Amino acid sequence: MAGPLTDQITPPAGPLRTLAGDRPVVRVLIRAGLVLVKRTVLLAVLLALVFTGVELLPGDAAHATSERGETAVDLAQRRHTLGLDRPVLERFWDWMSGLPTGDLGTSAHGESVTDLVSTAFPNTLVLGATALLLTAVLSIALGCWAALRPGGRLDQAVTGTSTAVFAIPEFVVAVGLVLVFSLWTGWLPAVTLADADGTPSSWTMLVLPTLALTVPQAGWNTRIVRAALDDEARAPHVETAVLDGVPPLRVLTHHVLPGALPTIATGLATSSGILLGGAVVVETIFNYPGIGAVLSSAVADRDTPVIAGVTALAGAVISCVLLLADLVRDVVTGGRR
Amino acid sequence: MTIVSAMKAARSPRIKSSPLLRVLPALLLVALALIGPWIAPHAVDEPVAVPFAGPGGEARLGGDQLGRDVLSRLLAGGRELVLSALLIAVVVTALAAVLGVIGALRPLVGRIVERVADVLILLPAVLGIMLVSLSWPGGGRLAIIVAATALGLPYAVRLAAGAAAPVAASGYVEAAAAGGERLWVLVVREVLPNMRATLLALFGLRFVEAVYVVATAGFLQVGPQPPAADWALMIRENSSGLLLNPWAVVAPSLAVGLLALCVNLAASALAPQTGRKAVTVL
Repeated sequence: MAGPLTDQITPPAGPLRTLAGDRPVVRVLIRAGLVLVKRTVLLAVLLALVFTGVELLPGDAAHATSERGETAVDLAQRRHTLGLDRPVLERFWDWMSGLPTGDLGTSAHGESVTDLVSTAFPNTLVLGATALLLTAVLSIALGCWAALRPGGRLDQAVTGTSTAVFAIPEFVVAVGLVLVFSLWTGWLPAVTLADADGTPSSWTMLVLPTLALTVPQAGWNTRIVRAALDDEARAPHVETAVLDGVPPLRVLTHHVLPGALPTIATGLATSSGILLGGAVVVETIFNYPGIGAVLSSAVADRDTPVIAGVTALAGAVISCVLLLADLVRDVVTGGRR
Repeated sequence: MTIVSAMKAARSPRIKSSPLLRVLPALLLVALALIGPWIAPHAVDEPVAVPFAGPGGEARLGGDQLGRDVLSRLLAGGRELVLSALLIAVVVTALAAVLGVIGALRPLVGRIVERVADVLILLPAVLGIMLVSLSWPGGGRLAIIVAATALGLPYAVRLAAGAAAPVAASGYVEAAAAGGERLWVLVVREVLPNMRATLLALFGLRFVEAVYVVATAGFLQVGPQPPAADWALMIRENSSGLLLNPWAVVAPSLAVGLLALCVNLAASALAPQTGRKAVTVL
C-alpha cells in the first residue's frame, strides 16, 4: 500500500540532510536496515510464542487426527512418524531454520504446509490487499473532503457515518451486503465459485467480500485521517500558509497532508492485521477459497505446523506493512522522533 | 486491538448533544439483552414450526434451521454476549489502569509492555482467538474471555500509561514518592483517582472492542457451541436459509450491529474532550 501514501510525500530536505551528513540516501538506508532488523526479531519472538504455546496444549496432532478404534501403540507409532516425540526446542529449531527457504514444515496429515497454503494464502492476500487499498483511498479522500469544510454538514455526515460503521463486525456488514446486492437486486453473486486452479472464477465474486472488509476499516481510518489533519492544521507553518493567501486545497495537499501522513500510515498499517483476521471471517460467509478454510480444519486437527505456518505468513505480511509505515514516518520526519 | 487508541484520537469534537442521551440507547439495549431470556415466549431449543418457516402464527419472526422460534432465540441470545463483553471490558480496564500507572512510575515495566504490544500487533485477533480456543478445548466462553483479555491488555495498558505519565510526573506524586510512600499507595491513592475520565473512556472503548471479539468468536464457532442461542451463532447457522426466512439471519445481524453501534456511540460520549493526541501505536 506504499503507492498512494509515499507518492504524496514531500521529503523535508533540510533536516534530513543535516542529520545525514552529506548523504541522505545512506542515512535512510541505515535506518531502514535497523527497522528491518527490529521487525524481524519481533516476528521471530511471535513465532516462538505461537509454536511453544500450541505445543503446551493438552491434545496433539496425532490424537486429533486419530481414527476410531486405534490402539495406544498405533498412536505412539504415528506420534513418532510425525516427529511429535522429539523435544519441542528441537522441532522449533527445525521449523525456524526451514523458514528462510520457504519450507513451512509438514502438516499432521503428512502434507507439505507450503503446498497446503500456496493457493489459499494468495487468494486471501488479494482480498486483504484490495480492501486495504480501497480503505486507504476512501479514508484519505473522505477525511480530506470533510477537513476542507470543518464543522459543516458534510463534515458531520462523514464523521457520524464513519463513527457508526466501524464497530460493526465484518460478518454483519457481509449479511447486509448479501441481502441488498445478491438477494434483492441480484447484481452480484452471494457465493464464490473456485476455478480448477483454486482462484475465484470471476472478479465479481471479489466485490462483496472486499466491501464487507472495507466498510468498517474505512470508517475507522477516516476518523484517524480527520483527526490527524485536524492536529496538523494547528501547526504554525499551516497558519502562515493560510495567512499568505494560499488556496485551501493547496494548503491541504502541500502543507497539512504531508505532516499528517505518518499517523495516517500507522493507522492503515494497524488495519492490515484486522483485515487479515476479518478476511478469515468473511471468507466463511462467501465460501471464498482462502486461508480461512485451511485454518478452521487445522484448528480442528490441532495441526501445529499449519497454524504456525499461517501465523508466520500473516505476521510477515503485517511486518512488511508496518515496515512501510515506519519508513513513511522516517522520510516525513527526516529521522527526528 | 489498537482501534481503541485510534478511536480516542479520532473522536469528533463537534457533536454536542448531552452525553446521557448518547449513552441511553446502549443502556436500553444492554438491559433488553439481559432480561431477554425471561421474556422469550418459547423455549429456545424446541421446534415450534417447520424449519425456516416464514413469520406468522406461533413464531413472530418465523423459525430457524430446526424450526425453533427465531424471536425467542433472539431475545435469549444476547445476554451471554453482553455479559462476556462487559466482563472483558471491566477486567481489561482494571488491569490496564494498575499496570499503566505502574508503567508510568517504573519505566522498566513500561518498556516490557511496549515490547509485548509490539509482538502482539503481528498476531491478528482472529488467529489469537483460534489459538487459545485450540489450547483449551473445553473452555467455551471462558476461553474467549481469557483470549480477548490477553490480546487487548497491552494496548489498553499503553493508553493508560500515556494518560498516567503526566499525573505521575506531577509535583504531588513526586513529593509522595520522595516521602517514601509504597508503590501501591502511590498507584491507588495518588495517581488513579486523577485518571477517572480516561478510565471511563477506556472502559467504553474496551466494551466496543469486546463486543466485536466475542461476536466474531461466536460466528467462527470457537466460543458458544451450536445448541446455544447466540446472535453470532444464529447468523452462521441460518445463513443457508436466507432465502426462505431472511429474519432468522437479519434479526440477529441487526441485533449485533445495533449493539456495536449504540455501545460505540456511548463510548465516544464518555471520552474526555481534551487530549486528542494522534495514534499511540508503535
